[in-house]
Amino acid sequence: MSSSDVLPAASHSDIPVRRGGGWDLLGSEISVLFRRRRTWAMLVAVALIPVLLAVAVRLSSSTLAPGQGPPFLDRVTQNGLFVGFTAMVVAIPLFLPLTIGVVAGDTIAGEAGLGTLRYLLVAPAGRVRLLLVKYAGAALFCLVATLTLTVSGALIGAALFPVGPVTLLSGDTISVTESLLRSLLVAAYVTVSLLGLSMIGLFISTLTDVPVGAMAATIVVSVVAQILDVIPQLSWLHPWLFSHYWLGFADLLRQPLDLSSFGQNAIVQVCYLAVFGALAYSRFVTKDILS
Amino acid sequence: MSRNSLKWLPAVVVPAVVVAAVIAVPLQAGAAVDLPDKTPEQVLLLVHDSTVSTFSGTVSQSSDLGLPALDLSAGMTKSMQKSMTESRPEGAASSVPEASTIGALSTALDLLSGSHEFRVYAGGESQSRVQIKDRMAERDVVQNGSDVWLYDSSSNAATHLSVPADLAATAESKFAALKSQLPTDLSTPAQLAERFLSELDPSTTVSVGTDARVAGRSVYQLVLTPKAADSLVASVSIAVDSQTGLPVQVVVMAEGQSAPALQVGFTAIDFAAPDADRFDFVPPANATVTEQALPDLPDRATGDHTGAQRPTAAELPRVTGSGWSSIVEVPAAAVPAELGNNPLIDQLTNGVEGGRALTTSLMTVFLPADGRMFAGAVPLAQLQAAAE
Repeated sequence: MSSSDVLPAASHSDIPVRRGGGWDLLGSEISVLFRRRRTWAMLVAVALIPVLLAVAVRLSSSTLAPGQGPPFLDRVTQNGLFVGFTAMVVAIPLFLPLTIGVVAGDTIAGEAGLGTLRYLLVAPAGRVRLLLVKYAGAALFCLVATLTLTVSGALIGAALFPVGPVTLLSGDTISVTESLLRSLLVAAYVTVSLLGLSMIGLFISTLTDVPVGAMAATIVVSVVAQILDVIPQLSWLHPWLFSHYWLGFADLLRQPLDLSSFGQNAIVQVCYLAVFGALAYSRFVTKDILS
Repeated sequence: MSRNSLKWLPAVVVPAVVVAAVIAVPLQAGAAVDLPDKTPEQVLLLVHDSTVSTFSGTVSQSSDLGLPALDLSAGMTKSMQKSMTESRPEGAASSVPEASTIGALSTALDLLSGSHEFRVYAGGESQSRVQIKDRMAERDVVQNGSDVWLYDSSSNAATHLSVPADLAATAESKFAALKSQLPTDLSTPAQLAERFLSELDPSTTVSVGTDARVAGRSVYQLVLTPKAADSLVASVSIAVDSQTGLPVQVVVMAEGQSAPALQVGFTAIDFAAPDADRFDFVPPANATVTEQALPDLPDRATGDHTGAQRPTAAELPRVTGSGWSSIVEVPAAAVPAELGNNPLIDQLTNGVEGGRALTTSLMTVFLPADGRMFAGAVPLAQLQAAAE
């Protein structure tokens, strides 16, 4: 839409070139994101969560009684595949939103802060396309971060503890292969859970030229949402908080597989995508780009 | 300028559309339904003739009983929790009555406060499974013929109860009796509806309310209203599936409270027979398995049990009054001694004239100082009067 504003005289012959331009932009965005030392540091920190958990449980001499500590922690010594699930429960309230806040808050404000935003827009990319590309990069980071956690959890669990058929919450037992599939499903669930927050971060990022401010604001929003989620007087609001279903991935560990919270979570995230996507669009296309 | 304000249009329109959709979709689900008119008797007959024995579905239960907010774990001291944990491996939960009483009590209170979601599977007369979905945990009750399994994922403990073969004929009634003794609430809407329909007598006005939609099924609403003015129950409405006659929702309204005091209903239901292996419960390899003898039920204690545990007449609860305003009096001898010095009870009840009382919007319990117990769906003053 706005790309045609930028290039009102665009002819049909331009279209393949421009489409190629969009994919190039996406490619360069992704390679810039994943070549950053900051991104790698965050992914390493994410991978260290299950490692720390597993090593602490392995070195500790005392055995946990069932139900003590974070969920599934007492099962870890019997089955290493639970390391990933415990790490996910531990990471999702604060650590994952923190990394998402850094990546999503940096998207537009980071370029503005460096003074590179106007160069990006000088190329016939268009503001809408730039927003989409920036969002795609942040969403890809959500996926990579959760997969890093899952894979590192499975590896360290297999290295330090016996691995065998997994007991689900319902008391039924599934094979190792099926449990790995369920781990991937949990990773998909957590990725979807973080998409709404990424869009909020993108919107906040269009408001400012100071990337640190946008990062901090995004993280604050995620903490505030979780605080609102525990206030009983606001129970009418709870199903519509983007953080409400974050821990609902436990439903994927029931037998038969319960996809209802996956669906509800996805609906909530789509609502946030639509609302904050529209806000980010309106803000960004009307913004005076000075840097 | 106008171009810029046009670009702000999505920022206004999209949130408005999303909010409208969020409000409108649930309204549409409850859109008006028009079923052929039926008299209350015809709807009761529909329930009576219902032959549904296989289904699977999701049940959601919420209650707003006005219970005081309390920290359930605070009621248990560290040593009590320890003794409970230690007692589990030996399967001797019944030998430490204080611990198990408190455990059962806090489980019951947990189910009565707030909201819960269950998944329910029924495969014929003797197969059923209830899964109570907790946060990051689950409690299961599986019945397959004469085997009953209880499983709690947070403690990873399984309990097995079996009904002796010679009692197989009455297994169903045993199971029903057993269910009333379990700490977990097994109330499906159908069971709860049965409970209320059994109260039908001249003290109740029965009418058919407006047709509605519950869990995607069009339903008749059977509304029971107590005639007695002193009952705490304002009305009970039972949603009966118009095609199968299965009660799919029960809503209990309390006097002077606009929100339902108790609501149990299906949010999704499927009448196909569930997978047979849903009922084949094998305890997980690392679980603590407890074999528990079937609790002695009055009609079984005839032969070698020589009535050692038979309650005497003085220990049997006595019912005074009738219908909705009846009062149950439990003599002091039958009240568990632990109830008196239970910190959870102290936390729940208030000191009133002549003893302690627990008042909720549907039910009142009065504990006079002499150790007896009075309970009923009536105001506290009536219980106090009955105690004199």
